[in-house]
Formats: sequence, structure tokens, C-alpha cells
Amino acid sequence: MNRDYLIFDIRRTLRNRRVLIFSILMPLVLFLIFGLTIPQDANEAGISAIAYVMVSMAMFGSMSAAMSSGGVIAAERDGGWNRTLRLTPLKPQAYVVNKVILSLLLAVPPLLVVFVTGMVFGHVHLSATQWLTVALVSWLGALPFAAIGLVIGYIAKPDSVQPITGLSTMLIAAFGGLWLPVDQMPSIMKHIAQVTPAYWTGQTSRSALTASGVDTHALLVVIGWTVVLGLIGLRRYRADTARA
Amino acid sequence: MTTTTAVSLRGVTKKYADVQAVAGVDLTIRAGEVVALLGPNGAGKSTTIEMLLGLVKPDQGTVQVYGGTPTDAIAQGQVGVMLQSGGIIEDAKVGELLNLVAGLHNDPMPVEEALERAGIADLTKRTMKGLSGGQKQRVRFAMAIIPQPDLIVLDEPTTGMDVESRRDFWASMHAETARGRTVLFATHYLEEADSYADRVVLMRNGKVVADGTAAQIKASVSGRTIRATIPGADLAALASLPGVRNVETRGDVVLLQCADSDSTLRHLLGNTKAHDIEVTSADLEDAVLAITDQNKADQNKAQETLA
Repeated sequence: MNRDYLIFDIRRTLRNRRVLIFSILMPLVLFLIFGLTIPQDANEAGISAIAYVMVSMAMFGSMSAAMSSGGVIAAERDGGWNRTLRLTPLKPQAYVVNKVILSLLLAVPPLLVVFVTGMVFGHVHLSATQWLTVALVSWLGALPFAAIGLVIGYIAKPDSVQPITGLSTMLIAAFGGLWLPVDQMPSIMKHIAQVTPAYWTGQTSRSALTASGVDTHALLVVIGWTVVLGLIGLRRYRADTARA
Repeated sequence: MTTTTAVSLRGVTKKYADVQAVAGVDLTIRAGEVVALLGPNGAGKSTTIEMLLGLVKPDQGTVQVYGGTPTDAIAQGQVGVMLQSGGIIEDAKVGELLNLVAGLHNDPMPVEEALERAGIADLTKRTMKGLSGGQKQRVRFAMAIIPQPDLIVLDEPTTGMDVESRRDFWASMHAETARGRTVLFATHYLEEADSYADRVVLMRNGKVVADGTAAQIKASVSGRTIRATIPGADLAALASLPGVRNVETRGDVVLLQCADSDSTLRHLLGNTKAHDIEVTSADLEDAVLAITDQNKADQNKAQETLA
């Protein structure tokens, strides 16, 4: 990791308010529509339905924010900045680590906003341990998506990176059951959902709400996705830097 | 000055698809030299520089920078680079960008100093996007000197600058060479090579076709011209002097093209009534054209032989 680079990226991101506001607005609006309209006492197997939707939307916000770092990478590649970087002592791995950390930082604002909204307006009551687990899992659940952002950043051009990111975010979220629970869809949807990483990250963070705690099977699948996507991201990075 | 070798290229070649961009280059640059890599577009200058920096892998041959690989030299902050275009972040502010570059190196100079030396201290708060071409080049120059490198490599640094910016740029550059830094710059401006380089390496079709001081290159081609007023000159005698290639007259004024102007001059002063003597060398442009034309002629001949 390079500290100065991280500071530089954060300042640049804070200046680009549109991206920041959009990353908060989308999950918030979805939560207001699908979450706060549910009756307070609705629950399934003891889990409040509002809390369930809140965690899904938080996960969606964290995921889409993490994927948006691909835009930064595509822009840097396009301007030949990665060439300049190769002429400095910065190690390639440090660049990748920096962008992953940036993704994790980008994931914080939407998470906070959705959780605070759930707490204040949705009257979601969770124990401190549950809040902590849910927050941590939804936050670190951004990791496989940070890797997807990395891959998109290396494949897309700056003018196509936004639509590609937007479309893949929506597809992954919708088919992964973050917007609507797959249980309410035809059973074929559940099979499709299970091939997306979003299903498993959602499953892991929602399982923190249950009495039995975090679903270790789902957690392992998430870790697997992170490793695989991380390796693909690293490969793309290597291929990109090997080129003239 | 030490005799450390800064850069060493041995038998380096590079082919892109069916274009032989670099066709066997040997080049040694000693520490402290200021070398111009001169040649027309497509001569292989940029590819040579890219291989020297480790951005492109040569097909054959070896590249060493300070005795190691280019990547090692860069990792140790020994090389500062100014690329021709791009290589910056357009939505960053000048100050932010330079702070970042300083943060990427192990032993950077203070950013204020780099700004000062590049003459852009007043641009710190400006966004890159809004700068003129010349101003951007100055930012790139600041980025190149921040690592306090032993070797500075510049690829056509003044492309797109107006005359005044170019003069200012070279004044800044001169201050760096005065600190004993080794400099390699590619250019197609002959007068830049002539005025700022200790040594000129001329490339054409991926090969080095001439290498020496600007004066040597000029002399290697056409020697010098002596112009003198010689009343009643014996033209046949002058033409038979050793090293005299051609004699012309314009009234009493005689023009002698000589390979060895010194000995011709001695003869003129000792044995004739020559006065108002001027010695001029061909300019670098004539020399470059002559060398590259010669090169082309040789190549055509070779091709004909093959056919």
C-alpha cells in the first residue's frame, strides 16, 4: 500500500461528488421503497422483514460502490498514467492493494446511510453484536466486488466503463437476490442466484440476523469468490502492465 | 567526472508485426554525458527509449542501466523520465499530482523545489486539464526531476511548445545538466541537439548511423568551407592542395571546401595574399541530410544487389 496514493485517490473521489452521491442514493431509495413500506411487525422465522431488506440493500450499496473503483482504473489506464507508474518504484501489487482499499472506503458511506435509516426510520432493533457482525460482513463482503471492479477497470475503456459497471451491478444484484428475496421468485431463480457472488454475500450478512449466527457455508463461498476474482484481477493487471 | 557507465545497449532489436523498429543498436552513455538521440519520425528513437526504460522488452540484445536492469534502476529512483504525451491525471491538481509522484519515490526532492525548478510554482492549485501544452510539459519535467535521478530521459520534450517555452524549458534543463546529471533526450529539432547535447546519436531505420559531437558529425560529412579574398589566386594550385575538394570563385572571393581546413588555412596564410578569411562548418541539418541520404543510397544499392 502507498499512503500518498491513497490520500490522492480519496481527495479525487471526494471532489467527484456525483459518483459519491449516486452510490448512496441508489441503495437508499431502494430501501425506502422496498423496506420502509413493509409493516413493522412483519417477520419471517423471527427475523424482521425490514431488517432483512435493510441488510440486502446495504450489501447492494457496498457492492456497487466497491465496483465503481473500476472507473478510476480505466481512466488512469487511458491517460497513460499506468505507464508513468511503471517508471516509479511503486510495486504493481501495491497499486492493486491501494485500489482494493479505495473500494472498501467507497463502500462505507452507503452502508452507514442505509443502516442509520433502518435504525431511525425503520425501527430496526438488533443487539450490538448483531449490528457489528452485519456491518462487518456487509463491508468486507465488498471484497469480491472490488475484484470485479478491478477486472472491469482493466477491460473497459473510460467511456464504456460506466455503462458496463452499471449494467453488471444491476444484473448481479437482481439475480443475486439483493433487490428481491429469491424465495419469492420461481425456483429457477434460486438456481441462477447461486452462481452469483451477490447471493452468497447477501446470505452471509443476513445470516447474522438469525439466532444461529453467520452461515459458515455461505461465508466460505464468499471467500472462494474473493480469491478467484482477486486472482483474475491480478492476472488482468499483469497482462496490462506487460504490454507496451 | 567519473567514468561510470550509465546506459549500455548491446545488439538490441525490436520488431512490431513486420516493421523492424530497432535493427541492432549498440549505445553506451557515460555518467555526466548529455546525449541527443536525433532522427526523423519512425527512426526508432521512441522504441529505443522504451527498451532502455524497460517498458518494452527487446527481441534480442541486452539493456543495462547503471549495471543492472532498467527496472532495478527505476526501483532505486536512479531514473527520471519525461514522456512525450499523456502520463498524467487530467482531473488532478498540479500540487496533488506532484505530491503523489514524490510519495512514490524513496528519496524525493521537496515538491516546492521541483515546482520552483520547473518554473510552475504559481500553478499548484490549477487542474491539469486547464493547462496549456507548454505548462503540462513543465509539470512532466517537474515529475522527472522529483526523484533526484542520476539519469534523466526525455522523449521529445519540447514537442508542441512555442519558441519561447522551448527556450525557457532548455534553460531549466541546463540547470539540471550543470548539476552533473546524465541526460538522454530524443528530438527531431536539429538545433536542440546542436545547442544542448555534448553528443549526438543519429538514428535512421532502427540503426545508429552517426555518433559523435555535433561538430564531429558536421565535419564528418562536408568538412568546412573557407571563404577568403585572394587577389589573383592560382585556382589550379589551390585545388591541388591536400584535402581540398572543391574550389569556386566569385570575383576575388574564393570558396574552398576542405576536409582539413586547418592545413589549408596554414597554406593560405603562409603562401598567398589571402585576407578577410572566414571558416564555416556545414550546419547540422546538411550533415544529417547527407548522412541519411548516404544511408538510403547504401540501402537501395543493397536491395538492388539482392534483387
